[in-house]
Amino acid sequence: MSATATTDTEDLTRILRAVADGDRNAFAELYRRTSSKLFGVCLRMLHERGDAEDVLQEVFTAVWRRAGSFDAARAGAMTWLITMTRNRAIDRLRQRREAPLDEATERELVDDQPTPAANTETSQQRRRLERCLDTLDPQQKTAVRAAFFAGLTYNELATRSGVPLATMKSWIRRSLIRLRACLEQSS
Amino acid sequence: MNTTLDHDREDLRHAEYVLGVLDAGARAGVERELRDDPRAVAEVARWQRHLMPLADEIAPVAPPAYVWARLQNALGLASAPSRESARSRASWWNDLALWRWIGLGASAVAAACVIALLVQSQPPPAPAAATSYMVARIEQDNGVPGWTVTMDPAHARLVVVPAAPKAIASNRAPELWLIPQGGKPIAVGVFARNKATSLSLSPELLANLNANALLAVSIEPPGGSPTGQPTGPVIGKGTISGA
Repeated sequence: MSATATTDTEDLTRILRAVADGDRNAFAELYRRTSSKLFGVCLRMLHERGDAEDVLQEVFTAVWRRAGSFDAARAGAMTWLITMTRNRAIDRLRQRREAPLDEATERELVDDQPTPAANTETSQQRRRLERCLDTLDPQQKTAVRAAFFAGLTYNELATRSGVPLATMKSWIRRSLIRLRACLEQSS
Repeated sequence: MNTTLDHDREDLRHAEYVLGVLDAGARAGVERELRDDPRAVAEVARWQRHLMPLADEIAPVAPPAYVWARLQNALGLASAPSRESARSRASWWNDLALWRWIGLGASAVAAACVIALLVQSQPPPAPAAATSYMVARIEQDNGVPGWTVTMDPAHARLVVVPAAPKAIASNRAPELWLIPQGGKPIAVGVFARNKATSLSLSPELLANLNANALLAVSIEPPGGSPTGQPTGPVIGKGTISGA
């Protein structure tokens, strides 16, 4: 990992600790540094701007109130923030999606291929994950990516891909087992 | 015979949780576990480290400025005295709760009055920055006002406030359009169905914002019309007037 990325991580960790102590300036700094990335995550998963704005506000509200629960030994600051954002976005999707999938999601399943241009700071972990994803069957890789980026349930993935639920479950589970073996062997 | 498979399935629950494939019930199950099982916490953390690098490829998008204003208001952080005076005008404009409240009146006249009051209570603006708002009340085809739109050209913003909009299918979204006289509709943006939404005005929209233009609302896919022109039915229209 580059020196810059390490410094960023250390900075964010320090900022989060200050936020945990109720430092408003640190909170503003955290928002300034991370809100665009987190809003990108919200939009990617939710598509609707109003929902994405609400979830972003929920995330930062939770950060302000519970920054003390961040444990740098367990996850990097950015991983922690993105995880929290995805969890809230997924919760919102689950509330929203009793209805059939919309066209935006359909597009997501077709388009969800890596877009290297979107990302200038491809991390080492990312490259390793991409290598491991490449060892999966193309259909399975697509399903894993759709699950991650669109927050689709097994049921929704199966419907979209036109395969039985059991097949989808076995694709994803086999993919996860292979990814784990691949990632942990090369780490 | 099945022990290994069952074990795997049990074992993968945390990975499935992190990946995002579990339904609401199963997610809640894992979240309960995370409250008091350190093994589950460690397992989830492990999968987060494994999978979260995928998020690297998500491009950052700057959220609109009013999200930060809303957040500060909601958390009671907005009273930092140093910034307050410079922000006072922006902060009421950004206060969506206020716009929701205005929307309850369902009337452009009421909105205009509130704006007049607020503007009067502010220190007088520099002459060059004299503010002129425009208002449109969007009537639905049943004659009932659906939304009030207040435009602030000086700041290239508008706010759409629902009055009594008809129900819209959950997999569709309302989109606002500006229709210049004798011209084609120009997309303003998709807005939330049940709460006030602030949208920015592009230079093209600003150039066409006048009393001869119409505002219209159509029903579109959630991300907005894919073609740049309305693709669904137009459910409401309104003329623009100065406030």
